[in-house]
Amino acid sequence: MAAPIIALTGVSKSFAGIRALEGVDFAAFAGSTHAILGENGAGKSTLIKIIAGVLQPETGEMRLNGAPGRFAGPNAAADAGIICMFQELSLIPDLTVAQNISLSRPPRRFGLIDRRAQILRAEEVLARVRCEDVDPRTLVRDLSLSRRQMVEIAKALGRDPRVLILDEATSALTARDVQTVYDLLSRLKADGVSSLFISHRMHEVEELCDRLSVFRNGRHIETFAKGARSDAEIVRLMIGRDVTAKYPPKPAPVARPAVLQVGGLSWETALNGVSLTLGRGEILGIGGLDGQGQKELLLALFGVLRGVRATVAVNGKPGLPAAPVLAKARSLALVPEDRKTEGLMLSLSIAENMVAAAFDKVARGGIIDRTRVAALIDKGVEVLQIKAGSVDDAVSTLSGGNQQKVVLAKWLMTDPQIIMLNDPTRGIDIGTKQEIFRIMRQLAEEGRSILFYSSDYAELIGCADRVIVLYDGRVVRELTGMAITEEALVAASLNTGDAA
Amino acid sequence: MSRLGTLSAADRPLVIAFGFILVILAVGTVYTLSTTGTMPLLTPKYLLLQLQTGSFLGICAAGLMAVILIGHIDLSIPWTLTAAAMIGTAVGGPGAVPAALAVGLCVGLINGLGVAVLRIPSMIFTLGLDTVLRGLMVAQTGGYAPQDAATPLMLTLAKSSILGFPAALFVWAAVSVAVAFLLSRTTFGRALYAIGTRERAAYLSGMRTTRVIIGAFVLSGLCAALAGALLAGYSAKAYQGMGNAFLLPAIAAVVLGGTNVLGGRGRYAGTLIGVVLIVLLNSVLSIMQMPEALRQIIYGSVIIGMLLIYGRGDRVTS
Repeated sequence: MAAPIIALTGVSKSFAGIRALEGVDFAAFAGSTHAILGENGAGKSTLIKIIAGVLQPETGEMRLNGAPGRFAGPNAAADAGIICMFQELSLIPDLTVAQNISLSRPPRRFGLIDRRAQILRAEEVLARVRCEDVDPRTLVRDLSLSRRQMVEIAKALGRDPRVLILDEATSALTARDVQTVYDLLSRLKADGVSSLFISHRMHEVEELCDRLSVFRNGRHIETFAKGARSDAEIVRLMIGRDVTAKYPPKPAPVARPAVLQVGGLSWETALNGVSLTLGRGEILGIGGLDGQGQKELLLALFGVLRGVRATVAVNGKPGLPAAPVLAKARSLALVPEDRKTEGLMLSLSIAENMVAAAFDKVARGGIIDRTRVAALIDKGVEVLQIKAGSVDDAVSTLSGGNQQKVVLAKWLMTDPQIIMLNDPTRGIDIGTKQEIFRIMRQLAEEGRSILFYSSDYAELIGCADRVIVLYDGRVVRELTGMAITEEALVAASLNTGDAA
Repeated sequence: MSRLGTLSAADRPLVIAFGFILVILAVGTVYTLSTTGTMPLLTPKYLLLQLQTGSFLGICAAGLMAVILIGHIDLSIPWTLTAAAMIGTAVGGPGAVPAALAVGLCVGLINGLGVAVLRIPSMIFTLGLDTVLRGLMVAQTGGYAPQDAATPLMLTLAKSSILGFPAALFVWAAVSVAVAFLLSRTTFGRALYAIGTRERAAYLSGMRTTRVIIGAFVLSGLCAALAGALLAGYSAKAYQGMGNAFLLPAIAAVVLGGTNVLGGRGRYAGTLIGVVLIVLLNSVLSIMQMPEALRQIIYGSVIIGMLLIYGRGDRVTS
């Protein structure tokens, strides 16, 4: 095998006394797509930040094409051809797509930014990711999450990478876009680009990558060629123990009294008459391609959207809640799409976040009872097994999976009867995903009802008692029990009609 | 590791500001020792006098802190203070202080509705309302001369002393205890921090964000009005422009005390330290007989310099 394009030897890094990486040796080669696997907190993000020049290693060295390399910052790394797409989208919402794509080096004319060249360049790279439907002049804030992620990919491509790092870059993509990214990556591979791919979706890793490296607790565990290890073996390497069942068993279908009835729910152009019934103790999955109104449906039921028309009954009482505070009063809960901006107040403490929705449970006459707060938080941490040093630490110090658990804990403290989950496992490691599925089933067994949107069909198949598939803001198909299969979901999502 | 390193990030500004207070006193004392050979700055009489004049600023800053914590600003403080004092004295008698507070309540309500319901940026809305209030006050004194003498209650609150301490200090202390309790122990206070950190997440957590934002502005209006009533007592009368000198120092006190000017972070103890810092800085500069121009330059530079020492907020590291 040729000399590696990137080689790390004995690299360590710690934050505030906690080892994030310890004596890591790692090598990546040109023309290879290299998967980096590990649970959240395994050190993957630290590793790629060191490679991308965002962080400096404390010990050890990095070699780039055999020469010692140490980047002063991300720009120096980018100049050397190392382009990184981080988990958090790096686009600026109030700039246009074109401005974002050429953000670091805009084309200039007479010293000023050449707008026309900027748009042409954007059109060119967008075409490479087959996003001709995105107008370079639109503001990024007006794009859906999946479109934004494609723009992010286009932006990275526009910088001619030699090493391309994709950190959870496909977690919000639609099935069609994922295929586009696959094609792109294989083309880049043929051009000799080395790609480092971080994903929690095993099937993506298997389809794309030729080498896999597993990390656990800041250590490099093993690197092997694709096919050398079975899925079960890889998972065991990642979490260091055996995993039994991926999803908790479903109960036999029974007749359930309805706790939520929705009829003819419409909102602007996104929702066109959705009707559904949610039973007591039921997990109702919402499927369909991305952007068919699933998110809007959950927001509408939670009272966030204005101008919704619908007949709704919650626990037999008619009427749609007009604001989240009223939805909460009627025993609804929503785990929103973006935990970092909607679910959590990142710089506040874990404790502060956990009681944010349950003030009425811990306060009398507006005055907070500290003993009750402490008791409630202890219980939440225990039930959800949130791994945190201290509940007074900022919630931003937690891994993504534990952050999502805090969001869940926040709502469980309100003792909700109807829990709405908007793609709750996005960007979360396998171990935590399984815990969340287990918690969901446990909540359902307690008699709570769950409305669960997931962009991953496997999760719907594994978790839901019943699935409704949305297409163009309408329910086009309802699947129950054994009828929930990948084929049926895909067919219904595309609204082909032959599955009916 | 230095001692500063072991402090939590929230305490850092408090320690730095407190250290700077000692520096100001030391510099002032060296100056007076070298010129007159005395140390007037370290006498209880001088310090109590400073706290008494500081109490007006301190009360304004206490209310303003609630607004800054939610990531907004209240620029209507100068004329809220003035209007409250002028209308209070015009009403006169036992109704004077309640009338002043009512003015503050109304201004706060209008500010809160403008920001939380109409969604007009607070910087614009409160500045606009400040100008409207100024116009109203000019109009009020335009045709005839309303009563402007401070009532006995105002005089007592501002000038008398209890057990050797100025009464104004007790008012400030009462406001401080109330605000500190409000911020740390009530759902309203915790909601202020949540909204200042991320309003969207607070709203989606089912907090009554509109009410809380209005409440913060009402608190700021009430505090400015109370300061106005006291200041009228201190000066024995209400007059146009009496609140003009309070806006920048109040903002500076809150921010120098470690409250994040973008909201979400800050402790009330910091605001107290910030007020003392501002008051002493002003006083020592005037004792040192600095020319007014130089005083302004030093005053402004200190505020900017201190914020540089605090660091420029969170850097994006992860």
